[in-house]
Order: sequence, then structure tokens, then C-alpha cells
Amino acid sequence: MKVKPLTWRKISQVFFFLLFALTLLQATYPFKPWLPPELFLWLDPLTAITNQIAGRFFDIIFLLALIVLLSPLIFGRAFCGWMCPLGFLIDTSDHILKPKKRPDLRRWRFLKSALLTAVIILAIFGVQYAWLVDPLPIAWRSLGVIGMAFIFLLVDTFLTGLVSVGIFPDTILNFQDWLTGRLFPVSNPEFGGLVVPLIIFLIILGLSRLSRRFWCRYLCPLGALLGLVARFSSLRRIVDTEKCTDCGVCRHQCKMDAIEPDFMTTTKSECILCLNCKYDCKTDAISFGWRAPLKMMPNVDLSRRAFIGTSLTALASVGFFKINKLDPRHSDRLIRPPGALIEDDFLERCIRCGECVRICSTSGKCLQLSVTESGLEGFMTPLAQYRHGYCEYNCNLCGQICPTKAIPPLSTPEKQKYKMGQAIFLKDRCIPYRLNENCIVCEEHCPTPNKAIKVDKQAYVDPVSGAKRIVSYPYVDESLCIGCGICENKCPLNGEAGIIVVREGEERSQV
Amino acid sequence: MDRRKFIKTSALLTGGAVLGASRIIAKETGPADLVMVTNGQPAEMAQKLFELLGGISRFVAKGDYVLLKPNLSWDRTPEYAATTNPELVAEIVRLCFQAGAKKVVILDNTCADARRSYDACKIPEYARQAGADVRFVRDNQFVETAISNGTSLKSWPIHQEVFNADKLINIPILKHHGIGGITSGFKNMMGLLGGSRGRIHRPFPQNIVDINRVIKPHLTIIDAIRILRRNGPQGGNLNDVEQMNTLLAGTDRVLVDAWAATIFDLNPQSLEYLRLASAAGMGEIDTNKYKPRVYSFKV
Repeated sequence: MKVKPLTWRKISQVFFFLLFALTLLQATYPFKPWLPPELFLWLDPLTAITNQIAGRFFDIIFLLALIVLLSPLIFGRAFCGWMCPLGFLIDTSDHILKPKKRPDLRRWRFLKSALLTAVIILAIFGVQYAWLVDPLPIAWRSLGVIGMAFIFLLVDTFLTGLVSVGIFPDTILNFQDWLTGRLFPVSNPEFGGLVVPLIIFLIILGLSRLSRRFWCRYLCPLGALLGLVARFSSLRRIVDTEKCTDCGVCRHQCKMDAIEPDFMTTTKSECILCLNCKYDCKTDAISFGWRAPLKMMPNVDLSRRAFIGTSLTALASVGFFKINKLDPRHSDRLIRPPGALIEDDFLERCIRCGECVRICSTSGKCLQLSVTESGLEGFMTPLAQYRHGYCEYNCNLCGQICPTKAIPPLSTPEKQKYKMGQAIFLKDRCIPYRLNENCIVCEEHCPTPNKAIKVDKQAYVDPVSGAKRIVSYPYVDESLCIGCGICENKCPLNGEAGIIVVREGEERSQV
Repeated sequence: MDRRKFIKTSALLTGGAVLGASRIIAKETGPADLVMVTNGQPAEMAQKLFELLGGISRFVAKGDYVLLKPNLSWDRTPEYAATTNPELVAEIVRLCFQAGAKKVVILDNTCADARRSYDACKIPEYARQAGADVRFVRDNQFVETAISNGTSLKSWPIHQEVFNADKLINIPILKHHGIGGITSGFKNMMGLLGGSRGRIHRPFPQNIVDINRVIKPHLTIIDAIRILRRNGPQGGNLNDVEQMNTLLAGTDRVLVDAWAATIFDLNPQSLEYLRLASAAGMGEIDTNKYKPRVYSFKV
């Protein structure tokens, strides 16, 4: 039997989704990828454009994005219909949620172009916010961070349950350890800031209730960008006027509402080559064929008025982002990944894909997506939260995996020299200072070879009983402390630790 | 008297007699069961150690499930002397299987990230080759265990395999420790604890003794092949590592730790947890009463 191109499209979607999933699975300790986890982000032209404009840099790896950016010249928006992992999930969601009504939402099409304009204008003025609406970073953090955490909990609970009821416990335990050695952390990483990206992800899928591919039709700025190029597409829908009976099935079945009321004209900037129309046509009137590529289609869904309006709004919001900047004096606990670029450059480059957070969850478990902690401009940026985890002394994986080098790829010895912050004792909380008893869990765990935490042994006389004892009072040698936070993490106090890491003295990489 | 001289003297004084003896006296219990082997390769020293103790079958019976507790706690490679020597552990695994053990399990609740520590210390790599199951520790595997005669701890979550195993062999590495003076046999049992382990440090001597009231290794083997002199228990500086090429083993946990303190140039009486353990009747602290039988490979 001959395989229909429609089936080919589905196979392609599943293939690229699995490929994407494979790139996600690479992001784990020990980091020996045979497929770069950053692959889909490097292929993303919206990331490449906004990131390099906002950060004023050029990275040769982003030339990969030209493949996707120029592909519409030949294939139209086939990327959206055949490759995009988020598009595949939205198609799946469409099947499950089945939009009931078919309201005419065409007037909202301009939104995606407006969003595209806005993120590029913001980037020009140094605010890099495309990641909020860019489908590939969205897919990465939704599946790579939230999805993997979810799967981990599911699989781990299931296997643990099997062991506890005594079903092949040795085999299951060995299998669990095998998985742990490859994909998962040993224990639950206890993510903090995942609820906001989770809500965004669920909203994108939930929009399927309103119309099929709602996100792709009306909101996706990457779709808008590819649509701009797709207007010159060579591959296009062709209707045989002899055969067409004006039944309108094609228009009804179009995922993207790309077919005009005359059933002949196709809006090439919308068509994602899903081929539904071809296979639902009763009279076989529709085909897809090659035509001279540079014949431009007239439809620009963003009117001049809307373009100017969007641009001005984006411009105004630059000020909005900038006046919301964090006062450094009020962000004392804002600890960035080791050796991260200086804050302004870091914010311009970080695309909030969550790769660092994911890989850290299989190692020291300190990186979390921030919610409000690092201000509006720093929304969803990675923060080291030391009551959740700590920076493993011998680990440099966040820098190895960062797709935009917002966290530079440092060697382990280099990373060990970068000071993430400074540990200070809260003497009102710390056990030896407060209770004059020995503790020094922090000193025991301090990984610096010559111990940044040292102890001062002093005799203490209990004022009530008069009993004398020797107490080790810990202190920090600030020249040795690298702010890794294991002291804060392991402090046996509940709630806030007796030793905390503050931003003072942090060292950041220069561009 | 420096330590090396001391070991050599010990070898001459007590070891000579043992070397001359044609058979090894193997008492069932009692502090005489204390041996020291020096100056060999890890595997041959382990073999000799058990030979002097009366053979591995004295400790491991046919069909036994043996739990080994070496130190895998830190993300450090073996030469940093923060974790137990992997060749030593692998040889002990082999000996256990020689004695007919059904299953040998190795685990440790690490201080640094479990996967990093397990990889760096190389014990899983070596011990798996010898046939052991090396497992990660999971939160749900700890059982809250009452310590009926505890002085400062009344209960603590302890790893279930401690109670499932037929035999428990403790294989710590001898290291400097900021609060215990040394970390040796008693302290190594912390790797079988769950819960908020930082709290064990308050008060450390009482708590560590209480923990050892319910976790009772049948044999303690101290790895002093490399010892960590300073900046323990994690180290990270090769200058703090001293090659000592010594193994020390015994059935009396207090006596073994007392001798470990002695070869670390510390007076056992200066270690509060040992004084408490001895006073609680858990073993003998006086190293003058009992000396190890010493065997040295190349004296």
C-alpha cells in the first residue's frame, strides 16, 4: 500500500517529537550527549534573532537557525506542521479537546505578528523577552523540566511501589538504580518555580478548546516569522477549478483557517502544509505543487496602524521593564549559576529554556526558575536556591548545557574559582553561637580543599551550672569561600539556615 | 615515637610471635580478635587480614546476605582518601562470596550527590565486578527505629537493609574529622541513617554512641591504606593525604576505633565518644590491654 503524504506528515511529527524528547533526555548527569540537548533551540530563528540583537553578539552556532528560517522559501510553514514539537502537542490536544464551536477568529491573526514585532523591538532596546512566547523554549522548559520532573515522580513512585509489595524487588531496585544513573536524580529535586511555566503550557494546550491550532494561528511569533518568509514559498496548494464543487470541506478541515472563502486562494503565511484539505477533498481537486518561488502573496495580516501601535506599545514597555529593575541592594540572595554573565548581559541572553535547571536537578539540585525573586526582567531566570540544593563542587554542567552561553562553558577547575556569593553566619541562628554547643555540619561539608569554614575553639563556661566546655565556633575565610551553598543547604536548622550565602563578592563572567 | 616507628615496633613485638605460630587462634568473641596488616597491596592485605582473623567463614556463613558499609560519601577520587579504597572493598566482596554468601550489598547515604560520589569513589565499579549489588539509598528505605537504651536519641530512621542482612561488615576509611577528632568505625555508621543527619552532631558523642547501640557491625575493618590527615572528612588536597598502607580489623568496635585513634597519633581517651562507648560496655578503650596481631608484608 502506498503511504499517503498525510501519514508521512504524522510520521514526521512523531519522529521530530521523539528526536526532541531524545535531546531532552541527554540533559542529565553524567553529561555525555550524543545529540546536543540545545539542538532545537539552536535551530530556532526567533531565539537566534532576538537573542543576538538583545545581547549584541554573534554566535556561529545560531547559523543553524538559518535552516529553519529559510525553509519556508521552499516548503512554506512546513516546520510548524511537520517538525515543531509544540505543534505536535497542540495537534494532540486538538484531538482530545475537540473545539466545538467554529467562531470566526480571523481578526486575531494579527496578534502573532504584533507579538513578533513587540519582541523584536524589545530586543533592539535590550530587553530579551521572546522566550515567553517562543515555542521551542516553551517546549523545552515544559517538557524538559516540568515533564521530566513529572515522569520522574510517576516512574519512581511506581517502581518504589513494586518493590514495597515485593514484586522482584532486587531486579526492580537494580533497574531503578540504572534509570537513576542515566535519567533521573536519586531523590526528588523539589522544584519551586514551576507553577507559572506549567500554567502557561496548560493554557497553550487548553486553547485547543477555542479552535484547532489556536496558538499557531493567532499567537505564535515564530509562526509569524516563518509566515513572513512563507509568503514567497514555492510549494503551495493548487486547486483544479474544473474539479472543485465548492463544497467547502477543505476550508472546514483546514487546521490553520488558511483557505479563503473562495476555496481557491490560500494564505501562504498561514498554511502549514498539513495536507488535510487534499485528503478530505471528495473530488480530488486539490494538489500541492511547486511554483515560481518569488511570487509574493498580498496578505499582510498586520496593518500599518497595528504595526505602529504595537511598536509604540513595545517601546513604552521597554521603560516598564527598565523601571522594574531590581535594586541590587534588595537582591542580596539572588545567586546566579556559577560564572554566569554579569546581570545585564545574563538577562539579555537567558532564554529561560530551563536546560540548566533540568541538568542541575540531576546533580546539586540548586537551580530553580525564579518567579518574582529577580524582578520582572528576570522572570523565570535560573536562581541558586540553597535550601533546595547546593552547587556541587565538581559540577560545571549548567555552563556546559546553556544554549546561549548566558552561563559560559567553564572547565571544572575554572568553575571552582568563580565565587557565586559569600557565606555569612547568622549568629542569632547558628547553633554554636546561639547555644554554645558544637555543631560544625557546615565545616564538615565545605568542599574547598583548605576549608573556607574554619573553627575557633573557645572555652565556654555555662553561667548557670558553671560547667566548662570547649566549643568550636565556626567562621568563614572569605578568601576561600566560593559561595557554593552546601553549608546553607546542610545546616541542620529548620527554616532559614544559620549560615547563608549572599550576593556580596560574587564574580561573574564578562562577555 | 612517630607512627611509622610505632607500627614497626608493634610488628616486632607482637607480630613476630604471630608470624611464628603455625595456626591462628580464632576465638568466637573477645577483644583478642584484633589484627593489623601493613605494607601490602589492598587485596593481599585483605586476604591476610581474614587469615589472621581465622578465615572469612568465621564471619560469613553459607547462604548469608552480607551488607558491606564502606565510605562512598564524597565526590572525590580514591587518591584523596575521602572514601574507602575500592580494591579493598572488591576483595572483601570476593571473600564473602568465597565463604558462600548468597548476596553482598553495598550502600551509603552520601553527603555529596549520590551519583557523583558513587562514580568518583570507584567502589561501585570495582565491587560490581566482584559480584556485589551496589545500590543507591532511597528515602522510603529508612525505618524509624527505637533506641531503647539511648541516652540522647530515642529513635532514628535507619536503613532497612541493616535489619534484613544477616551480617554487617563496616569498612570505614580513617580520616581527620573536625568534631569527632577522627572519623572511623562509629562515625561511618552515619551512612546508614536517614532523616536530618546534621542533627546527629548535637551532641555528637552521645548520639553517635546511641546510633551504634542499634547498628552493630559483626566486624569492623579500618582502611588506613591512605589516611586523610587534615581538612577531613572531605579533603580535596593531596598534601593532606598520607600513605600508611595499613589495615586494622576487629570484632570489638570500641577497641578497633581506639587503635585507629592510636595510629592517627591521638590518645583514644581524648575522644569523648570512645569514652562514652566504653563506659556503656560496648567495648574496650584501653589499647594497653589488647594489642593487635600484626603482619607486615615487607618489613
